[in-house]
Order: sequence, then C-alpha cells, then structure tokens
Amino acid sequence: MRVPYGTSLSLPVRESTVPPSHLPTRLFPFLGPAAQEESGWRVVPAGLALVALLTIVGSWIEPIIGGSNLAVLYMLAVVVTALRWGRRAAIVSAVSSALLFDFFFVPPLRTVGFRDISYLITLLGLLAIAVVVSILTLTAREEAQAARKREAHTLALYSLTKSLVAESDLDRILDAIERHAFETFQRQIVVWMPGEGGLRTRSRSIETDAMERTAAAWAFENGSEAGWATGTHSSSQTHYLPLRTWKGVVGVLGIQADGSREWLAKDEQQLLETFANQAALAITRAVLAKEAQYLNVLQETDKLQKALLNSISHNLRTPLASVTGALNSVLVDEALLDPSTRRELLMTAQDEAKRLNRLVQNLLDMTRLEGGAVHVKTEPCDVQDLIGSALEQLGDRVRERSIAVAVPPNLPLVPLDFVLSVQVLVNLLDNALKYSPPDAPIEIGATLRHDQLEIKVADRGRGIPEQHLERVFEKFFRAASGETPGGSGLGLSICKGLIEAQHGRIWAEHRSNGGTEIIFSLPLERER
Amino acid sequence: MSDPGPRVLVIDDEVAIRRFLRSSLAAHGYSVHEAPSGEEALQVVPAIRPDVIILDLGLPGISGTEVTKCLREWTQIPIIILSVEGDESAKIAALDAGADDYLTKPFGTGELLARIRATLRRATKPEDGPVFVTGDLTVDLSGRLVRLHDVEVQLTPTEYSLLKTLVIHANKLLTHRQLVREVWGGAHYEDAQHLLRVNISNLRRKLETDPARPQYIVTEPGVGYRLRTESFSSAKAPGF
Repeated sequence: MRVPYGTSLSLPVRESTVPPSHLPTRLFPFLGPAAQEESGWRVVPAGLALVALLTIVGSWIEPIIGGSNLAVLYMLAVVVTALRWGRRAAIVSAVSSALLFDFFFVPPLRTVGFRDISYLITLLGLLAIAVVVSILTLTAREEAQAARKREAHTLALYSLTKSLVAESDLDRILDAIERHAFETFQRQIVVWMPGEGGLRTRSRSIETDAMERTAAAWAFENGSEAGWATGTHSSSQTHYLPLRTWKGVVGVLGIQADGSREWLAKDEQQLLETFANQAALAITRAVLAKEAQYLNVLQETDKLQKALLNSISHNLRTPLASVTGALNSVLVDEALLDPSTRRELLMTAQDEAKRLNRLVQNLLDMTRLEGGAVHVKTEPCDVQDLIGSALEQLGDRVRERSIAVAVPPNLPLVPLDFVLSVQVLVNLLDNALKYSPPDAPIEIGATLRHDQLEIKVADRGRGIPEQHLERVFEKFFRAASGETPGGSGLGLSICKGLIEAQHGRIWAEHRSNGGTEIIFSLPLERER
Repeated sequence: MSDPGPRVLVIDDEVAIRRFLRSSLAAHGYSVHEAPSGEEALQVVPAIRPDVIILDLGLPGISGTEVTKCLREWTQIPIIILSVEGDESAKIAALDAGADDYLTKPFGTGELLARIRATLRRATKPEDGPVFVTGDLTVDLSGRLVRLHDVEVQLTPTEYSLLKTLVIHANKLLTHRQLVREVWGGAHYEDAQHLLRVNISNLRRKLETDPARPQYIVTEPGVGYRLRTESFSSAKAPGF
C-alpha cells in the first residue's frame, strides 16, 4: 500500500493494527488461514489420511493409469500436505507415501522392498519434494508475515507523523505521541521533559516515583537508554529512550514493561527508535515555536514600553508645564495681575493638576493590571448599586446630563468584583461624556443573557470607525485624530484588563442611529 | 484671639502636605497642630486634646491603622484618614478600627473642610431627639415609624434595624463589617454580607425616588455605606 507522504488521506488510527494485505495467500489460496508452521505434530494425521485415501483410490485406478503415474499423484499429495500443514506433516507423508507405494504397488507386492532400482528414485524423489516444498512454503509465509508487520509499522509511523505535523502546541504533541505509541506497542508510554526543578512529566497513567525519575534523569543526562531491559537502573519498570535532535536531548520517552519480562522484538525496537526520533523532532519544533513566540512577546513589550515612555513624557510634561507656568506667573507677576487673570491662572493650574492625577492613576492601574497585582474579590453584588455608585463617583458631570438607566427589577445579586466593576463603568461613562455632545442622552442597561450579565453604556457621540472597533481596547490607541479631550489612551484598555481579570468580555458596537455602545459581560457562574 | 477655634491635629510625614493643610485650615479659623509620625502623635494627643485628627495612613514607623487602634482604646476624638488610591485594605482596616471617615489623596480643601465640619457636628451635637428628618424621609426611633412624603413605609425588622443603625450614625461612613456587627450581631460575616446587600437594595427600593441614583443611602465602593443628609451633600464641595 503506497501512501503519499503528507496527503490529506484520512485514515482512522485503528487501521494500523489491521494486517493490510494477504498477497501470498491470494496466490496460493489452498494455503488457507490454517497455515501455521507451529501446528507441529497435531496436523500429521491429516497428511497421513490424505495419503491413505490416495492409496485406496490408487488401488482402483492403478490398473488404468499405471504405477509410475500413481507415483506422481503421491508427489502431489505430499506437496499439498507441505503447503497446507507444514514441514513435519510433509515429511511424515513423504515417508509413508514411499512405504505405502512400495508396499501396495511396487513388485513384489505386499512387501516392503523393490527389485527395480528405478523405484528408489521415485521414493527419494518423494522425500526430496516434501522437504523442498515445505522449506519454500515456510519462507513464503515468513516473508508474508514480515511484510504485513512492516506495513503495520509504516502505517503506525505514518499516522504518528500525520498527527504530529498537524499540531504545534507542545501539550497536544505529547498527547499524540503517547496515544500513538500506546496503540502501536500496547504499552503505557510516558514522556519526560526538562522543567523547573529537573525532569517533569504530565502523565499520571504511569508510575513516576523517585526510582523512575532517577532512571529517566540518567537517560536524559547521558543521552542513552536506561531502565528496564538495559544495563542501567534495570530494576525500573520502564525503558527510557533519550529524545535526541540536533539541539541535544530534549526529553526522555519511557515505555513500560507492563509485567512482561521480555524486551521488544528487534523490528519493534527499530520502530520505537523511529517513534522516538519523530517525537524528538516534533517536541523540538514546538519548543522552538514557543521560544519564537516568547521573543515576539518580548519585542512587543519593548515596543509597548517605548510607546509608554513617549506617552508618559508627553502626557506628564504637558500638564506639568501648564501648572508650573501658571503658578510661576502668579508668584512672579503678582503685582501686575488683576484678580480675574490671577483666578484664571489658578484654575488652569488646578485643572491641569487634576488631569495629571488622572493620568498617573491610569498608569498605575495599567501597571498593576499587567503586573498581575489586581486581586479580584468576587462577591454577590447589586447591579443597581453598581451603576449608582459609578454615577455617584462622576458627581456633577452626570447631574447635568440626561442619563437613562434600565435595570430589570427582578435582577438577582450577581457575583462580581464591585470596586473593579465600578471603575470600569466610571471609565466607560467618562468616555461617553467626553465623546458625545452635552445634550445627547446616555443610556446604561443591564440584562441577563444566558449565563452572563451584560452591561452596556451607549452614547450618541461621533462613533468609532468600523475598522477601529476592536483596536480601541489597545493601549495608547486613539480612534479619533486631531483634537481629543485629553485622555491618556489607556481608559478602555484598563477596562478590558479589569473585565478579563473577572473572566468576562468587553467589546464595542455601532448604534444604528449613530453613536457607540460598549458592552461587557461577566459570567454568572464562577470557576473556583 | 479669644476664640481660637476647633483644634485640628494633622499627622502626616510629608512636610508639603502639612504646610498646605496648616495654611488652608488656619485660614478657615482652625487652630492647627502637627505631628510628623504616629509615635509623636500618640504622645501629644493627651496634651493637645484635639477636636479632630487628620491621619495619614502611609506613615513611617507605626501605621495609621495602629494609631487609630491605640487612640480608640481611650478616646472617641473624630479621626479622618488620608489614603492613596489602591491602598483599599489599609483604609478599610482603619475604618473598621474606628476611624470616622476618609479622604483619598489628592483632595481639595473644600472637600476636606466639609468632612471636618460634618465630623465635628456629629461629635459635638447634643443627644438626638427620637425623630430624625432629612429631605422627605422621617424616622421616628421611639415609635419605630418610617415616613416618606408623610406616607408610612413598611419595613421588615431587619430593614428597620439597618436603617436605624445608619440613622444613628448619619453621615458617618459605616463599613460592611460594622454594619454586619450592628445588625446581625455574631452572624458569619461572609453570609451576612450577602444579606446586607439584599437589605440595602430593598431599603433603597422603598425609600429612594430613583434606586439607581440613591440620595439617602450612598455606597462607598468596596468600603461600606453612609446615610447622607442634605446638609452633608450640600457641603460636598467641588474639587478633586
């Protein structure tokens, strides 16, 4: 069976255990399924019976066909016996054929012996045929078996490779290796990989006590086999093969003894080695991919840090410059300033200081979120209270605006972190207030949808361009160009971080008659 | 100066903050004393006998929470704590220990003055009569009667007990723990917290015009609740 490498031919893995073809039996159908060399002496009577039958039939037809032709029939019987029942039956049949033929059909009749020397050749011929045919049969049978086994091995390797090529995640690669190896060798498989504090394994299906760990570690450090059926740590119940690639030993593959005292047959050992090589390559690939991803993250972080520094130096200095300038004017030019100018300068200083405070707060929040320093305290909370608290925090800014709150009266207490969720709502409302005209209404709504609490904040502002609906949650991303009402570019990404810390989701949508709707959903059931 | 005004003790290690508080409080007629550390503060409090203490939570040496605990062992002088955002647990600990109110840095002078006035009023006012009135809400503590717009409101015993606690400490910030202790006594705190939320929500539904934007029972996110009276809300000055 030819299977082109890498085609999308879909083969159930189970097929690998089915002998795929029976080429020799197809050529010699009479070999039949019972053609077992190891049937031994038990099949001898069958051969004898055939010869006896031939002798009875022969006594009738001998006058018609003649003695020498009858000898050919005996040869045929021996060949059939050899093919059907193997070497021992064939030799017994050959000897008894020779004796019976001699006894019944070779003059002097009814005696064992002959006068004509040509019958000796017939008898020896019978014996020779029996031996040659049985040897040939056996060879053919062994080759058939070997071919079948090779094919099964090829198929097993093929299906392993196919699974490995499809996976890039290390865990799933390890799963595939363990699954395929188990199906092929019918033994428990374990993969050890270097991790924190030495070798580690994910497998729980196999003994991983201190002794096994030591044997695996030895195989890993020395790059050679250890454990069961080797010269090192042979009291272990598992045989360990190092997984070696050009990058060195990446792990250890263990195959369990499963109570058997015997090591695998030679061809199975070779198959196991090939398995180990494939596994090593796949693992290396996954490890490299992970490293590449890590480097990518590092680069991204670096980029972010540069952006952060740029943003900080710009956003912090601008208000600071205003504060310093305004206060300096008041101090230095005190005599020159009329009261209203002085007041204006002081108001500027105060507003800019507030802006500075908001920015510092945002930067701190972001740092805390990214540093994993935000501790989520989930408690059953009143959603109405949540919205009320957010509105209360915004104070006078919302008192002058039209804000519609829609919360179903029968809404139960919902598990969430009250403080973090208030902060999210304050940020969203702050955006809605900033980015929509003062007379445009703002809507806040809460609903239960499936097993989620959904809260939305909708405005009638200028909206977010379609292509930016997702990007607005990125750090320092600003949808609108030009004049912006002095944000830090962090508000929505902080919201995203706060919601995701609570295992929720946040997204932006267009409103049909203009404006933006930011929705976040939080799961009602929490995994603890 | 025959009337030196209420005495304020400012406990903060930051010179700039002390200077800013000294000038702005003195300008409003308070007599200001200062202590740069908790240790020093504990020594001078008996001598100064301040009317109100402004206490920074982030002190070197013994913490603001510790100072609160030590003071509460012998005096009920009102304490307003100053905290920074992100230091919620220390803030709650200090409030649980008996601090009266808190302000988050940075804050405006207007807000600080309003808090000081409210705390002083609470501390110095004569024993309240049995009837408490704010806005359209009337609570008659002797008759267990609650009226809104002169219509009697039916409350469950737990709701009434909760409202009574809030009324007795009107304008004071009560932490979740303090409310649970007052209303449910020895109940398990985690369970009672749930009950607290449900009862607050029910009270609002019965007493507030718009439960989503409550006028009386105000939430301090993550900390507790406060019954706000008109005089307090009008005193809340715009600022930081």
